[in-house]
Parts: sequence; C-alpha cells; structure tokens
Amino acid sequence: MKLDYAFPPRGRKLERIRAFLAGLSLDWDDTIEQTVCLLEDDNIVATGSLRQNVLMCIGVDPTLQGEGLTATIITELIKLAMEAGKLHLFLFTRPDNHKIFTSLGFYPVAETGDVLLLENRRDGIRRFVQSLEQPSTHGVIASAVVNCNPFTNGHLYLIEKAAGECALLHLFVLSEDRSAFPAQVRLQLVRENTAHLPNVVVHPTADYLISSATFPDYFLKDKAKTSQVNCELDLIIFARYFAQPMGITRRYVGSEPDCTTTAAYNRQMKKLLPPMGIEVVEIPRHEIEGQAVSASRVRALLQEGRLKDIRPLVPPATFAYLERMTLHG
Amino acid sequence: MELKKAGISGTLESSDVMITLEPGNGGIEIELTSSVEKQFGDAIRKEITSTLTSLGVTNARVTAVDKGALDCVIRARVKAAACRAAEVEYAWGGGSQ
Repeated sequence: MKLDYAFPPRGRKLERIRAFLAGLSLDWDDTIEQTVCLLEDDNIVATGSLRQNVLMCIGVDPTLQGEGLTATIITELIKLAMEAGKLHLFLFTRPDNHKIFTSLGFYPVAETGDVLLLENRRDGIRRFVQSLEQPSTHGVIASAVVNCNPFTNGHLYLIEKAAGECALLHLFVLSEDRSAFPAQVRLQLVRENTAHLPNVVVHPTADYLISSATFPDYFLKDKAKTSQVNCELDLIIFARYFAQPMGITRRYVGSEPDCTTTAAYNRQMKKLLPPMGIEVVEIPRHEIEGQAVSASRVRALLQEGRLKDIRPLVPPATFAYLERMTLHG
Repeated sequence: MELKKAGISGTLESSDVMITLEPGNGGIEIELTSSVEKQFGDAIRKEITSTLTSLGVTNARVTAVDKGALDCVIRARVKAAACRAAEVEYAWGGGSQ
C-alpha cells in the first residue's frame, strides 16, 4: 500500500475520492485543504482530510476495516497539521465511530444526531473555560461572541448597551486566524476599546466558538448563498461548556441586515438557545447618517485608501491602529 | 536540553506510540491514552519521565498515545520528539545527549 497526498485534490483524483466517500455515505467538503489517501493497486482503500486544524472525511474500505488503516491516515493528518504549526486538533466523524477515535487519542466534545466532534486534548474545553477570568457577581451574567474585524463604533454601541443592562458581560473574541485582521490584534483592540467598562471581561475563544471546527460556514460568508447554516454544534458547545459553568443566561447579538450567514446564525440562536436556558437579545445596528456601521464597510474603505472616511466609524484605538498599519504597510 | 517548540514522533499504528512534546513550565506533565493503561500506564509514564530526565528535560507537556509499544520503542520515540522540540540533531546510538 502506498500513501498519496493532495493539497487539495482536483480533477480526476477528486472525482475518485468523492466516489469512494459516497460509497461510505460520506459527503466531500469543498473547504478541505489537504487530503491523504492509502492506495492499493491504484485503488483508494482509505482516506482522510484536513481543513485548518480539523480532521474530516475519514473513511476506510469496509472490507479492510480493523486492519489499522484509520491509524495510518490519522497519523499522516496529525503530521501535516503539525508541520503547519497546528497542535490543537479537532476531528469530525459519525457518532457510531466514537470508539476508534478515542483509542487514537481524541476526546468527544459535542455531538448532534449525525455528527460527533472530538479534540486531541483530554478535557481541553473544560480546562479552557475553567482558566477564564470569572469575577463573582450578583445579577444577570450575559455574553456576546464577536469577531471585531476590526472593532467599530457599531461594536462599541452594542457592547455599551449590553453592559448597561447586565451585572457582568463576558465578551468572547474569535481566536481563529482567518479574518483580515489577526486574532491578536482583534483581541487587543477589543480590550483597549472596552477598558472603560468595568463590568466587561474580554476572552479569547481558542477555537471553541465560531471556528473551523464548530461553525465552518462562518468563514465562507462571501461564498455562501444559502441561508441554511450548520451551527447547531456551535450553539450546543456555547450552552453546555461556556454558559452553564459560567452562569451566563443571556446572549447579545447585533441585528444583521446584509450577511445571510450571520442572519441565519442569529435565527438559529433564537431557536436553539432559549430551550437551553439562554435568552437571546438582538440589538439593532448602530447607524451613522442613515448608514449601518459595519466592519466590512471599514475594510472596504481601507482597501480604497480612504482613511479619513473611516474616522467617524471607529473608536480612537482602532483608528490609531489603522493609521499605523497604513503607514508601515 | 531545553524544549523550544513542539516536537512529534512515532505513529498511531499497532506496537508504536505517538509522542508529542511541548515546552512546559510545571515539571513533566504527561497525558496518556493507552489501550493497556490499566496494566502498564504507570510503567509507560515512568519510561517517558526517565527518558526525558536522562536528556536533561525538566519541563515538558507530553501527550502520549500508546498502541502497545515496547519500552525501547517508547524511549526512541521520546528521544526523537525531544530532539525535534529542542532543535538538536538526533544522536542515533549515542546513548546520552
């Protein structure tokens, strides 16, 4: 048997992998970046793929199951991820495959009816949430999950309004580096721009909320035409691992007039979170001169080099950063 | 030797062990997954710790996924992972560092 790599597969090779997966009732995923196949006499007998730090589309020829081929595929995928500097890994599979992957060092995080998400750190998510700053308080503990790409006056408006309505506001800033502004910068700007609010605590999300693992569609916004989004896993994780232990009973979101993916996510949130004990409060977009303030507008203006027009849309800390960034290329 | 980055060695195949080492700050912490954990968990941990100690590694986060590896395999994998993590040449057969 020999190993075959593709970054990602295209053309005829892709057709063959699709057909192999289809035979196992598995769907190919167009977001895949790297694929490994085991070939015997030029036929695929096992395969697995990687998107960022997520292992997926793992399948073995049913007649060869129990021969350790999954272990070979997973070993290769872990090494590819390591080479890209990714240590904290997630894996998607069907819930009934749970035993194979736990024996390979993966631990269950959450599951829906047809998909199970595992990670390669024992109690990784529990330990992460335990490590977060959680000041004790009396009254409503609320939260918001934000990307802030970059932080605008729209974010400030939502956060100030939310913070004014609760005793404590946990702000989670997406950690995944797939946005125009790096995660470290986004987190730092959120900290600076909310420093004046004593009841706001800012946290990273370490890939556990709105990430490639929990909600991949989020990063395909520009491509996604559909209003159906796969965010059930993300919301289950939020409710079980974050809200419950942290005492969060409310989640704030900004209304979304433009982006269909975010609008669909908001709809799902309103449907799935209340039964799990979390109230969802939607705050209308902040407008300046009749136009909604959005990070995408700031990015568009930045691209056109119209720094001056950005000034009214962002707080001073963000503007100072953008200015420095433009000066130093 | 001092670990500078993450280092990985071994496979998940039968009779092998996959060792991932990361720089740590609280001594040697081991997270072990093994099908023979009950019978040999302590022995495997001891083997990993003594190999790291002999290499002069005092702080490390170790993730070990064991598929029934023999002691000599565990030692070799730990040593290779440590050399990668410390960015030093692997001294095959050299015994010490």
